[in-house]
Amino acid sequence: MASRRRMLLKVIILGDSGVGKTSLMNQYVNNKFSNQYKATIGADFLTKEVQIDDRLFTLQIWDTAGQERFQSLGVAFYRGADCCVLVYDVNVTKSFERLNNWREEFLIQASPSDPENFPFVVLGNKIDVDGGNSRTVSEKKAKAWCASKGNIPYFETSAKEGFNVEAAFECIARNAIKNEPEDDTYLPDTIDVGGAGRQQRSSGCEC
Amino acid sequence: MRGGDAAAAAEEGSPRSPDLHDLSDDSDYAAAAVATASDHTAMRTDSADAGSDETARIDVVYEKERVTIHPTQYGSARISGKLRLFLQQGSLFLSWEPNEGGGSLSTSSVTVEIDKYRNLYTIKALPLSDVRFIRRHTPTFGLDYIIIVLSSGLAFPPFYFYNGGIRELFATLKQHVFIIRSDDDPNVFLVNDFQDPLQKSLSSLELPGVASVANAMSRQNSLSFTGSVDETRHADDGSHGAASSMSQYSSKQKPKSNDPGRDLSIQVLEKFSLVTKFARDTTSSLFRDNIGSQAYRRQQHGYVLDNKASDKQKNQYITPEKDSIPSAPVESDPIPLVWGKQRDRPLSDEEWTTFLDPEGRVMDSKALRKKVFYGGIDHVLRKEVWKFLLGYHEYDSTYAEREYLTAMKRAEYEAIKSQWKSISATQAKRFTKFRERKGLIDKDVVRTDRSVPYYEGDENQNVVILRDILLTYSFYNFDLGYCQGMSDFLAPILYIMEDESESFWCFACLMERLGANFNRDQNGMHAQLLALSKLVEILDPPLHNYFRQNDCLNYFFCFRWVLIQFKREFSFEQILLLWEVLWTHYLSEHFHLYLCVAILKRYRQRIIGEQMDFDTLLKFINELSGQINLDRAIQDAEALCTIAGENGASCIPPGTPPSMPIETDGGLYVQQDEVL
Ligand SMILES: Nc1nc2c(ncn2[C@@H]2O[C@H](COP(=O)(O)OP(=O)(O)OP(=O)(O)O)[C@@H](O)[C@H]2O)c(=O)[nH]1
Ligand SMILES: [Mg+2]
Repeated sequence: MASRRRMLLKVIILGDSGVGKTSLMNQYVNNKFSNQYKATIGADFLTKEVQIDDRLFTLQIWDTAGQERFQSLGVAFYRGADCCVLVYDVNVTKSFERLNNWREEFLIQASPSDPENFPFVVLGNKIDVDGGNSRTVSEKKAKAWCASKGNIPYFETSAKEGFNVEAAFECIARNAIKNEPEDDTYLPDTIDVGGAGRQQRSSGCEC
Repeated sequence: MRGGDAAAAAEEGSPRSPDLHDLSDDSDYAAAAVATASDHTAMRTDSADAGSDETARIDVVYEKERVTIHPTQYGSARISGKLRLFLQQGSLFLSWEPNEGGGSLSTSSVTVEIDKYRNLYTIKALPLSDVRFIRRHTPTFGLDYIIIVLSSGLAFPPFYFYNGGIRELFATLKQHVFIIRSDDDPNVFLVNDFQDPLQKSLSSLELPGVASVANAMSRQNSLSFTGSVDETRHADDGSHGAASSMSQYSSKQKPKSNDPGRDLSIQVLEKFSLVTKFARDTTSSLFRDNIGSQAYRRQQHGYVLDNKASDKQKNQYITPEKDSIPSAPVESDPIPLVWGKQRDRPLSDEEWTTFLDPEGRVMDSKALRKKVFYGGIDHVLRKEVWKFLLGYHEYDSTYAEREYLTAMKRAEYEAIKSQWKSISATQAKRFTKFRERKGLIDKDVVRTDRSVPYYEGDENQNVVILRDILLTYSFYNFDLGYCQGMSDFLAPILYIMEDESESFWCFACLMERLGANFNRDQNGMHAQLLALSKLVEILDPPLHNYFRQNDCLNYFFCFRWVLIQFKREFSFEQILLLWEVLWTHYLSEHFHLYLCVAILKRYRQRIIGEQMDFDTLLKFINELSGQINLDRAIQDAEALCTIAGENGASCIPPGTPPSMPIETDGGLYVQQDEVL
C-alpha cells in the first residue's frame, strides 16, 4: 500500500545552455516538447508525483540557466538536493567536456554531507538530431567518463522524441530516494517497501 | 462566525491573539473588500459631483499645549505646539499644530532651519485608523514622550509632553478607539480604529498638508488589502479600493496632462520624507537606547500578527447598510493629493511636435520624459522617441544632426559587423571562442519572442538580424561578450526600429546602463538585489521581516524580474510600454526596483499568510508571469517611489544599474572566466 504522506525529492538539472534541460523537464512532467521554450533565466522548478515500488513521492525538478556566468546563483538553488542530473548534447563536444566542471561546481555549492557518494545521473540528449549523424560524443566515451566518476548511471535521450526520458527520470528518482537518510523521513509502515525499492534500483537502474 | 468572535473580543477590550496561519476568512474578506471598494468609487464620484463645500462638525475630545518636537538632537531647538484628538463624522483624528511665531530657540543659526520645517511637522488630521501603535517613553531623566508609528511602518518624530498629559491621552484614546497593550512591551499600545474602515480610505482623499501625506502612506497598507482581492479574481483595474477611486477622482478634477496638483503633492511628499528621515533616525536611536533592538524586533513581529487581526475586524464591519455611511470629511482648504496617478494617454503625434523646435530639438526633455512616464508613447512614434530615451540621440540635437549621425553610425556598424563576417570557415575552425559565442547566440535567438508575429516561423529573416546584431555587439564589446537575456532586450528594440544599424546602436546604449547585469561576476545583479532588499526594508518592514525569518533575503526569486526588466512577466505589447516608462528615469533611474516592491507588496498578504518558503515563493513569483496588472503596478511603484523619497534613493549605491557604471582603469567588465 502506498503511504499517504509523500516525500519530497529534490532534483537539480545542470548542463550547458541549450543542451535541452528545460525540454527534458517538460517532456518528463508534461509529456510535451516545444521548439519555443525560452532560454531559462534564473531558475524554476516543476513537480511530479511519482510512484516507485508502491510508494508515492513528489519529485521537485529544478531547472537552472545554463550559461556559465549565472553559476554563482546556484548556491540558493542547489541546497538540499537529493540528486543531480548532468545533461550534455551529444552533438556538442564542449557540452560534454564541461560536465566535470558542472559536477565539481555542484559539489562545492551544494556541499552535500557525503560528496563521494552523492547521486548523479548523466544524460546525453538530442540523439535524434540528424539521425545521429551529427553526433560528436560517442556513447562509449560518455560511459567511460561516467564509470570513472564512481559509476554514474548514464542515459541517452531525446527530449524531442520523448525517447528514454521516462526511464531516465525513474532512475533519477530512485537515486534521489537512495540519498535520503533512512531514519525519520520514512514512515514506519513503508520501511520494508523502501528497502525493497533500493534493492530493485541497484539491479534495474545501473548502466 | 469568526468576525463575531473578534468583535466580542474587541468590545471586552481583551486582546485576542490572532492566528497568522488561519486564513479561513480570507475569501470573505476579499468579497467584502470588493464591495467596499466599489462603494468608495460610487461615493467618491457622488460627492465630487455634489461639490466639496460641506464641512463636517468637529468635536475636540483632548487638547494639550506644549507638546513639543525636537527637530535636532539639541534640546534647545524645539517647536512647541498643541496636540489634539477630535471626532469628525464618528471617527477619531489626531492633530498637532505648532504655535505661531518664534518658538523657544536659543541659537539663531538653527532658527532658520527649524522655521523652514515648522509647517512640515504639522499634522492636520491624522485618522487613528492609520496608526499602528504608539509607544510611550518615560525616561528616568528627562521628559516623557510618545512615538506614533503608522501602519506604513513610518513614524512621526517623538512628541515631548512638557506639561504632562500622556495618561489622559491614552485614557481618551481608549474611549474612542480599540487600543490594546502589546504583550511584548507594556509601553507599546497597538491602536486600531475599527469603527469605520471606509472612513480610512476616504479620508485619504483630500486632507491637506502632512496629514494627507501620512494618509497617503497608509495606502501602502491598503495595497496589501486590495491585493487579496486581486488574487481572488484577477480582475482589471476598475474599482480597487481607495487607490483607483482616488485617481478617478483626480482625473476628473485635473483632466489636463500638465498637472500642477501632482507636482505639489510630490513636493510635499519629498519634504515629508525629510521628516520621515529625521523621525526614523530619532526613532530608531531612541528604540536602541531604551529597549534595544531585540525588543524592537519583537514589536515588529507583533505588528505583523496584528495586521491579521485587523483584517478580521474589518470583515465584520462591512455591513449592508451602505446608505448610512457618512460621506467623506471635507476640509475647509483642501489640497487635492493626486496619488499614484492614473495612467495618461500615450504621447501622440500632435503632442510630440509641440515638444520640438523648428530645427527638431526637444526643448523640454524633462516635460517629455514626464509625459512618457505617465502615458507611454503612441506606437508609431516609438521608433523616433525611443532613440532619445535610450540616449542614442541627444535631446538638443537637430534633425540635420541626427540624420548625419545615423549615416555615420550605419557605416560604423557595417565596419564592426565585417569583423566577424569576414571570418572564413577555416578560420572559424581555429577560433573556438567565436564558434562558441555564435553557437550560444544561435541557440538563443530561436528561443526569443517566437510567438510574436515579427519573429514567427521558420527561416524568419528578423531572427537572423537578431543574431547578426548580437554577434556584432559581442565584437563591439568583446569584454562583455554575449550573455543570455540580451536577446530578450534586443527583440523589442529591433521590432520597433525595423533597422539593423539603428537597433544595434540603441541596444548598445541600453547596454551601457545594463551591461553590469550580464557581467561575469554578476555584480550589477547583486547590487540591485541588495538595493531591492533595502527598499523593502523601509517600505514594507513586515514583509522584510518575513523574508529575513525565512531566509529569503537574497531576493533571488526576483532575479528574472531584475535581469531582463520584467520582460518575461508581461506581454510583448506591455513590455514596450513598461520599458519606455522605465527609460524616462523620470522619478528614479531605479524605478524598476520600486516596481518590484510594489508587486511584492500586492501579494504580501498571500506570501506571509501562506507562509511561503524560498522554493514556494520562487515558484509563486515565476507563476505571476502574465498575471500582474501593469498599470496598477506602475501606479503603486510611483507612490512608493515618492514615499521613499531620498531614503529610497539612499538605499541604492551609485553605479547600480541602470545608473551609468563607475569606470575604473581595469575596464568595465570583469574578466574572470572564459570569454564566451
Ligand atoms: N532535436 C532536438 N532538439 C532539442 C532536444 N532537446 C532540446 N532541443 C532544442 O534545443 C534547444 C535548447 O533547449 P532547452 O531545453 O531550452 O535548453 P536548456 O538546456 O534548457 O537551455 P538554457 O535554458 O539556456 O540553459 C531548443 O531549441 C530545443 O528545442 C532534443 O532532444 N532534440
Ligand atoms: Mg532552460
